[in-house]
Amino acid sequence: MFKAVIPRVTSRSAALRTATPAQSSFFVASPSTSLLSQRLSQRRGYATPAEEKDLVIIGGGVAGYVAAIKAGQEGLKVACIEKRGSLGGTCLNVGCIPSKSLLNNSHLYHQILHDTKNRGIEVGEVKLNLEQMMKAKETSVSGLTKGIEYLFKKNNVEYFKGTGAFADEHTVAVNLTEGGETSVRGKNIIIATGSESTPFPGLTIDEKKVITSTGAIALKEVPKKMVVIGGGIIGLEMGSVWSRLGSEVTVVEFLGQIGGPGMDAEISKNIQKTLGKQGMKFKLNTKVVSGDDSGETVKLEVEAAKGGKAETLDADVVLVAIGRRPYTQGLGLENIGLETDNRGRLVIDSEYRTKIPHIRVIGDCTFGPMLAHKAEEEAVAAIEYITKNYGHVNYNAIPSVMYTHPEVAWVGQNEAELKEQGVKYKVGTFPFSANSRAKTNLDTDGLVKFLADAETDRILGIHIVGPNAGEMIAEGTLALEYGASTEDVGRTSHAHPTLAEAFKEAAMATYGKAIHY
Amino acid sequence: MAGVVNTARLSARIASRYAPRYVSRRGFKVSAQDRAAQNYPMPALSPTMTEGNIANWKLKEGDSFSAGDVLLEIETDKATMDVEAQDDGILMKITKQDGSKGVKVGERIAVTAEPGDDVSSLELPADDSSPSVGQKDAKGAQQGAEEANVKETQEKAPERQQEPQQTTQSDAKQGGKAQKQTYPLYPSVGHILHQNGLSSADAENIPATGPSGRLLKGDVLAYLGKINKEYPAQSSARLEKLSHLDLSNIQLAKKAEAKPEQSKQKEAAVEEPVQATEIAIPISLSSVIATQKRVQDSLGIFLPLSTFIARASELANDDLPANKNQKPTADDLFNAVLGLDQVPKSSRGHFFPNITGITPAPIPARSAKKPDIIDFLAPKKAKAPKSAIPVAPGISATNNVFSVVAQAGEEAQATEYLERMKLALEQEPGRLVL
Repeated sequence: MFKAVIPRVTSRSAALRTATPAQSSFFVASPSTSLLSQRLSQRRGYATPAEEKDLVIIGGGVAGYVAAIKAGQEGLKVACIEKRGSLGGTCLNVGCIPSKSLLNNSHLYHQILHDTKNRGIEVGEVKLNLEQMMKAKETSVSGLTKGIEYLFKKNNVEYFKGTGAFADEHTVAVNLTEGGETSVRGKNIIIATGSESTPFPGLTIDEKKVITSTGAIALKEVPKKMVVIGGGIIGLEMGSVWSRLGSEVTVVEFLGQIGGPGMDAEISKNIQKTLGKQGMKFKLNTKVVSGDDSGETVKLEVEAAKGGKAETLDADVVLVAIGRRPYTQGLGLENIGLETDNRGRLVIDSEYRTKIPHIRVIGDCTFGPMLAHKAEEEAVAAIEYITKNYGHVNYNAIPSVMYTHPEVAWVGQNEAELKEQGVKYKVGTFPFSANSRAKTNLDTDGLVKFLADAETDRILGIHIVGPNAGEMIAEGTLALEYGASTEDVGRTSHAHPTLAEAFKEAAMATYGKAIHY
Repeated sequence: MAGVVNTARLSARIASRYAPRYVSRRGFKVSAQDRAAQNYPMPALSPTMTEGNIANWKLKEGDSFSAGDVLLEIETDKATMDVEAQDDGILMKITKQDGSKGVKVGERIAVTAEPGDDVSSLELPADDSSPSVGQKDAKGAQQGAEEANVKETQEKAPERQQEPQQTTQSDAKQGGKAQKQTYPLYPSVGHILHQNGLSSADAENIPATGPSGRLLKGDVLAYLGKINKEYPAQSSARLEKLSHLDLSNIQLAKKAEAKPEQSKQKEAAVEEPVQATEIAIPISLSSVIATQKRVQDSLGIFLPLSTFIARASELANDDLPANKNQKPTADDLFNAVLGLDQVPKSSRGHFFPNITGITPAPIPARSAKKPDIIDFLAPKKAKAPKSAIPVAPGISATNNVFSVVAQAGEEAQATEYLERMKLALEQEPGRLVL
């Protein structure tokens, strides 16, 4: 091993020789200095001085890579530091993208198993090849992450594979993945280090028996029994995948509804009923008291949230999906005195600046919902603040989507939020069971629901549970962004026969009457 | 002749061009004696700033300033910023003193006068600035011009219809600005206008509260008196607030440093002696010294021992086995699962050896000041024993103990490092300098 290293020294020794005179005079000046500092000075001698960038971005996730590409397009000299080894962050590597691959393919499998006979398709023996399903997922992931690397090259983004940490307010030291260290200086710095799964106290995450979303997309076999702690979007999506593939899935949720606090209560009840029909079990208003992962299976003690009867759940795999927390470990924040709030989020102003104005923070590691598309918007806005002094993100028009089947999507406010703010509103709904396309697809679960201002008819929130809700919410987001009324949507032509007609009819039902219901 | 006429015409034109300017300037001068003092409003330092605190004034009342001078410091929730003068002038009066909190953008904070004006004879202008005026300023002159147009058309409007007549009077109440709608009208807006006998030209008279001044259904309903006139503006204000991140009430993480640091220090105090291990290995420098001599004889260059040791160390630090303490992260593991990347198994070390020579040399010689390897390496001394083999006290030709301090978990790395040092220095010192 050592021999193999030897040839490399020849190139180095050339540089060493030139450094020798300086080194000896150095010694005369301070004979007591240790050899260590001599070595450091030699290093400095042959390391090329780092060029100063216009912008250095720490993190190559959705926030970081979008900011890097945008900055490259704006003509900034930009460097992006990512330690994972592939770009795209949680979303592309272990989040949105791989989970959607599994959701789509497990849905196909589930449909072939249970939903082909009445459509007139007789299928022989159906077998699950989990390994191949995972390979398909990996192909999608690696294709997309490599695509970003290509975009970096195209837009002249310098890509550092390594871990960045602040050395001072303008310098980021990079511990390179392939060994060695370097540093990069930036006039501006953007922190986009993202988030990580919040662990559950008392359970040790090994990504085999006790897993987070990261392990949930890489299980080697379908577990017999799975318990999901946390009935939010991540828990329900991953619960869906394994439930469709044959697991007996129980979701334990502390709150009184699934889907998280942002989901409209009526929509939440609707999707819970549908998922229940698909075989998922729900324990709402229930808290996990303790867990024991020492045995072959994991045992969880649960009881009613308001105190009450206790119960023991037994599972082969426990998915911890109680939320995510900002990830800023090892970033050297203490070196430059940046502050986080009590939930670990980096403190910013409305232009994403920290108290050191040339350092900005975007994405999951600061305020706002932890969503990839929110991070993307912030990335563009942050670059525009740097180059054009003005950026725009409308936080009231950021959609949320849950990719179960049927999908759930919403944008704007829900009924509970409007009630809390004392806003008078009117509601208009339209069920997919009355939509021609949904009928022909034999996929009629769900509804579209508009919430509009009672006085002005301006749209305040749109909530959809149903097939293709995730695509349909784009129209709702646009309407909200433009301050449209339900009448504006209702008077806009929608193609027939499409699912989107349900969207239009729900709008019509809000300011007048739906035609087909 | 024609040329003369042209010249005359030209000069007349030039004269006429200057005339009004001169007149206006004179007019300005005249008014300067009674009204040259101007209100200085709270500036907006960013597009989103609505109010700020005055940290301190850099000038006293009566001081003159020139363009570019820093007048005062303003604190916002984000930062403290200097405000520079745009023009020359005199700071006549400060109306918001140092430390004023929550001063709205556009509110008068001082009164300034033209340079050369007699401040004592000037009257303070009325405080006509209200926050909304300031915001108008911030939005730029263009909109102001548009507004002027709108006002003109609004004056004509009452003649046309009776309904708009009553509403024009209450425009101020309705909030939002009436402006030319440059985009197609929303379907609902077009519909209601038509139903109520209004044309799309009338749309320009209706105060619009939508994003970027767009006219919404609610605005028309309010204009027609079908809903509360103030409501669309209130609703827009509420939604505007929702469109921004809520950065109020940020509760900073408690500086938990105090406690953990103490406990850390305690831990460190207890654990450090246990954690760090010194690992030592004997290495003979005889072959290094032989090489050194050979190089000196053949090339006439004297290479100090430190060069050999530094280069050997440089090499030995490369690609050491990974630290046991370094646990692979979840990402590393997952990447390994995906086959995207291997869990890093090696890392660069940061060792440098302590060298102690085992020599039978008499101890008193060294007792005064323990000779360091540096003393030996300094050129001054290196010159003296030119002929002799430069083995100084503290380093032995044959038996030296190379030792490094290894933190817990680093033992394997340290051992590997020392093994490599031994190999490099004993077996192939020649390669280190070639």
